[in-house]
Amino acid sequence: METSAKGEGVGKVEKVEFDASEIEYVSYGGEHHLPLIMNLVDQELSEPYSIFTYRYFVYLWPQLSFLAFHEGKCVGTVVCKMGEHRSTFRGYIAMLVVIKPYRGRGIATELVSRSIKVMMESGCEEVTLEAEVTNKGALALYGRLGFIRAKRLFHYYLNGVDAFRLKLLFPQPELHPSLPMMVDKDDSHKHGDHRHSVE
Amino acid sequence: MAHKPTDEEAFGVAVPGRTSIPSGDNSVWADVSPLLHGACQDLQEGELIHGDNFNLFAAMSALEIMDPKMDSGIVCRYYSLEEAIENGAAPVPVSVDKTTDIRCIIDIMDHLLACEATWHKGHSLAQTVYSCLYLLQPDRTSSHALLHSYCRVTRATCKAVLSVVSDARTHEEEDLFTMAYGLPLSVDGDEKCLSMLNAVEETISRQLRACKSSSKRRVLEAIEPLQSDPDQEGYCKALLCRLRFRKHLYHLLMSIRRPQGRGLELARKHIASCISEFDCILKSSEFLRASAQGMCEQNIEDTTASGCQAIGFDASLNCRSSAPTPPRSIKILSWKKAVQYFVKLLQDLDIICAYSLDPSLEAALNFVIKFQKSQPDLVARSHLQLLLVQDGKLYGRIPMFALITRAAGLPEVTKDHDIQKNEFMVQLEQLVMNLLKILCTNVAWQRRKLGKMLQDWRVIHVQLELAFKKEFGEASKPSYDELCFKIFQQILMWVEEQTYWIAHRFLILGFELELYSVHDYCMVYWYIYTVLIKLAEKTHLRIVMNTGTAKKKGKKKKDSFKDAGRDYQMPGAVLFLQSQIYLAEGLCMMFSALKNEHVIAAPQSPFNTEHEIFIQQFELLRKACLPDNISYRSFKESTMHANFSNLVMCDYFKEAQKIAKDAKSCFANDPDKMSELRRVEQVAEHNSVALNLICRIGAIDRSLKVSFEFSHHPVFATAIVKRS
Repeated sequence: METSAKGEGVGKVEKVEFDASEIEYVSYGGEHHLPLIMNLVDQELSEPYSIFTYRYFVYLWPQLSFLAFHEGKCVGTVVCKMGEHRSTFRGYIAMLVVIKPYRGRGIATELVSRSIKVMMESGCEEVTLEAEVTNKGALALYGRLGFIRAKRLFHYYLNGVDAFRLKLLFPQPELHPSLPMMVDKDDSHKHGDHRHSVE
Repeated sequence: MAHKPTDEEAFGVAVPGRTSIPSGDNSVWADVSPLLHGACQDLQEGELIHGDNFNLFAAMSALEIMDPKMDSGIVCRYYSLEEAIENGAAPVPVSVDKTTDIRCIIDIMDHLLACEATWHKGHSLAQTVYSCLYLLQPDRTSSHALLHSYCRVTRATCKAVLSVVSDARTHEEEDLFTMAYGLPLSVDGDEKCLSMLNAVEETISRQLRACKSSSKRRVLEAIEPLQSDPDQEGYCKALLCRLRFRKHLYHLLMSIRRPQGRGLELARKHIASCISEFDCILKSSEFLRASAQGMCEQNIEDTTASGCQAIGFDASLNCRSSAPTPPRSIKILSWKKAVQYFVKLLQDLDIICAYSLDPSLEAALNFVIKFQKSQPDLVARSHLQLLLVQDGKLYGRIPMFALITRAAGLPEVTKDHDIQKNEFMVQLEQLVMNLLKILCTNVAWQRRKLGKMLQDWRVIHVQLELAFKKEFGEASKPSYDELCFKIFQQILMWVEEQTYWIAHRFLILGFELELYSVHDYCMVYWYIYTVLIKLAEKTHLRIVMNTGTAKKKGKKKKDSFKDAGRDYQMPGAVLFLQSQIYLAEGLCMMFSALKNEHVIAAPQSPFNTEHEIFIQQFELLRKACLPDNISYRSFKESTMHANFSNLVMCDYFKEAQKIAKDAKSCFANDPDKMSELRRVEQVAEHNSVALNLICRIGAIDRSLKVSFEFSHHPVFATAIVKRS
């Protein structure tokens, strides 16, 4: 779905000075967190999501959503899911947002990493998401975490921009190195309302 | 009910710009605002509504009513087409004043063209071309010859384009494109659109002549104009070139579709006419813009040559019939962009029409690959696909089996051999057809399909091999069909060669699609190197077998391609591949050395290692065992010892340069191969210099920074060395 672009923004953005240790990371704790997540995403990402979209994720997979706070203010969030997909147990990163004054300091990386760690511990074999080919910040972030650009999706977004399907493969224990790992038959390409479509 | 409730009564709020929606026969409006308000108060924090069709997943498709981003109904100006027409949204004629009528119709023509270009670029017909109210109710325009004939030819053109894309059936790009549900695309009489258009063109030509002659007479006799319109001539010219453009475009689409490529030459003539009419259209813009000054509503989107807003368009009217969800509003391309699109389309179609229809599979494949480099759009690519594969034959003429036997280097007599009835030969023919079709699709989708195809090609090889062994395995077979043996043998080899060709294309497309990060290059070049070695081997074998066949010599040494006798001249095709093999190997080793010597930092993911990256990148190739016995371990073994001191001794880049130079002598008449070899030489040279620099000072000078650019070749990177 969507990741806010690092270093993006028209005009000068006032950066906030802070030490990394001042950021508090919290797992989704309940209804009281929902308006915070919704406000952040509505503010920073271009697509409108109804409340039902948020509920789907945070109700079914609360352990995969995290919030970042600085001095009591919510400055970032990640929303994910996981499940069986064509005989693969995989995680999916739906939304990742960090507000502009706090970007470039590793908060997004930390949020995503926490979620991925839970996915790994829950038995996921891989993690996937889509990102616009122009979103250099997101591509660099996920690249550093070990994601590869598995596919390019032509005109994935309604504005005609292509997307990459990014995939992270977790190491599998008793694996013979010359045997292939994953069966990736996901060729479904949905036009129209991508923002509401979930893998 | 005696009286229709107003919006205010019905909704409790006045909805601006809307006349009330009447109640139906079996329905009545009721105000539910108090009910909704009560329900909101009743839900506690954390409580959810559940229903059979309203579980958490299904609920995501819910829309918030009156949120314009989601509720496309809210931005409607008119509830229905009838209402829009009743309110004068699409008058016929557009204006009672003849000059204004013409001016407005020119704007309609321009905006329609912009809509058409937007449609071609990947949007739905309903939101683009059929946002035109005149097209939605075809009968209304019958009293106005110009508008009516223009609508007809536009519809007929769209129908032709839609059928091409629909027939090409790539099942992805065109899903939105081909949706025409509920739209009047086939109207009786549209087939006669050209004769109608010709009649209108004739009328306007006469008008133009009349304008010119009357103005000439005025000049000659110094007569003061009584009630002539000086703009009349300009408008006539602007109209004529637009009508003629449409005529030639339609002719082009009809010609190009003639079976077996019989209409290509004629199509080229129409393309040339289209382009020349476009020139006139563009020239008319200045006049149109000038004469429209202050006469009309400003067109913010700039979809017309005059800059005026076109009358008679409303994209929201179709939204209710557009399945499955109401579409987001889209932006119609600007006039400038629409013109650019059509010019490119014409150029791409011209390239297709100019193709010599070479009866060789290799030539056809090379043509498609080269054509794709200019990034043609869906409509052009669909036309190419339908030209290449018709009725299961190449260009509708050459049967697949004949194509395969020729590609495999077999003599002409083999193309009619009975073996083509073998079920696996039939499947092979299908694979070849699919390959041709898939090479015509957009590159992103193409790469995925090529990857999937590898297994199919591998499987067919296994099946053919088994059939071959079954047929000729027992030595005591009475009737030994020597020709059949030969066919099997050479086709088997050719299948392997073609499989590696596909694997190679799959790998190199990753560069064009920007799928590889710089950290992936080392393993990608290594894999390209291993695949190219196999490809060169198979190519060489095929050529050797051909020469053996041609010379009708008895025994031919069937050795590996490395065995080059003193007088043996390596075939150009093999040299071509060898230069790339050395280049790939050189790049792989250079990357390995840079990593091993810590000039490039290896990525440190907290979640996985290079092993997992390798598995993912080459999953489809390894599933198809292309090549066999390839693993991450073998990759590591090849590369872990590379360092600056031993690298300088292995002159991969120099070797690549030398072989490329030798290869050039074989391709003097092939400009494409020549330019490719030149590029290979350039990359090899630059990298050779860079490598020397790195190896000499890299170990000592830790401030060395090496970056990579695709400045000389789209696949082979050039190293750039800098001191930081």
